[in-house]
Amino acid sequence: MRIADREHEGAEQWNVPPGWSYNPASWSERLPIVGLAVLGFVIAGYLSLYQWRLIPHVWEPFFGDGSRIILNSPISRYLPIPDAALGALGYILDAIGGLVGGRDRWRTMPWIVLLFGMAVGPLGLVSLLLVIAQPVFFGAWCTLCLSSAVISMLMIGPAMDEVLASLQYLKRVVAAGGSWWRTFWGLKSSQLGA
Amino acid sequence: MWAQIVKVAIGIWLMMAPAVLGYGNPAMTNDRIVGPLCAAFGIISCWEVTRGARWVHVPVGLWLLAAPWLLGYSNVGPRINDMAWGAVLLGLSTIKGSVSSQYGGGWKAVWG
Repeated sequence: MRIADREHEGAEQWNVPPGWSYNPASWSERLPIVGLAVLGFVIAGYLSLYQWRLIPHVWEPFFGDGSRIILNSPISRYLPIPDAALGALGYILDAIGGLVGGRDRWRTMPWIVLLFGMAVGPLGLVSLLLVIAQPVFFGAWCTLCLSSAVISMLMIGPAMDEVLASLQYLKRVVAAGGSWWRTFWGLKSSQLGA
Repeated sequence: MWAQIVKVAIGIWLMMAPAVLGYGNPAMTNDRIVGPLCAAFGIISCWEVTRGARWVHVPVGLWLLAAPWLLGYSNVGPRINDMAWGAVLLGLSTIKGSVSSQYGGGWKAVWG
C-alpha cells in the first residue's frame, strides 16, 4: 500500500485500464490478497502438521471433538497427502500468483493474472464444499477449517478485478487484429498501448 | 453492500439454526448445505466487481421457499424459518447497492 503511494502519479495513471477509475494491478490492490493467502497458508500448514501427527493436538475452541473428527475423516485422507496440506499448497500458489509481475501486469502478463484467478476461484470452491461436508457427512465442525474457508472466500472478489482487466485487454487486442495467444503470454510485439 | 452482508448473516444463521432451534432431518441437512452456499456468495458479492454473484441468491431463495414442501418438513419451526429467510433473500437479491468505481464496461465488455 505504501509502495503505491510512492509511485509517480503520471506513471501510475498510465497503468489504469481504459474506462477504469483505478489500477487493479497496483500493489495496494494486490498485497492485501497476498496477506490473506499467507494467513491461509499458516492456518492450513498448522492443520496439516496435525494431520501428519507432527503435533499431537489441534486447537479447537468451540466444537469439542469437532476438529479432531474432521481432520481425521475419510475425505481428508482421500488423496495421498492430507487435505490441509493441499490447501497450504493452494495458498502458496495464491500468494505467488499475487506477487509475480509489475503494476502493469494486467496487460503485460495476462497469463499470470488468469492463473492467479484460477488458483483463487477453485480453492474457494473446494473450501466451500468441505464446509458443507463437515456437518452433513461427519456431524462436526472445525473452527480453523471454517476460518480457512472464510479466508479463501474473501480472496475471490478482490482477485477478480485484475482478471476482468486482463480479459478486457485481450478482447481489445483481438478486436484490433492482434494475436490473443501472443498477448496472453505477454510477448512484446503483440501489445497495444494501454 | 449492506444487503450483501445481511445475506452472509442469513447464511451463517442457516448453518446454526438446526442446533439453535433443535430440528432434525430433512431440514437440518438442507440448511447445512444451503447456509454455506448463501454465506459464500454473499461474501463474494460484497465486492463491486463480483457484485453479480448476488443473483445466486435468487435460486437459493426460491429453493428455501420450496424445500419445506418438496422435502416434506414435518415441523412448523424449520418450515417457517426456511420460507421466511428464502423470501428475504429474494428481496435482497434485487438490491444492487452502490458501485463507486468504474470497470471499463465490466464483464459485459468481455462476453458482449
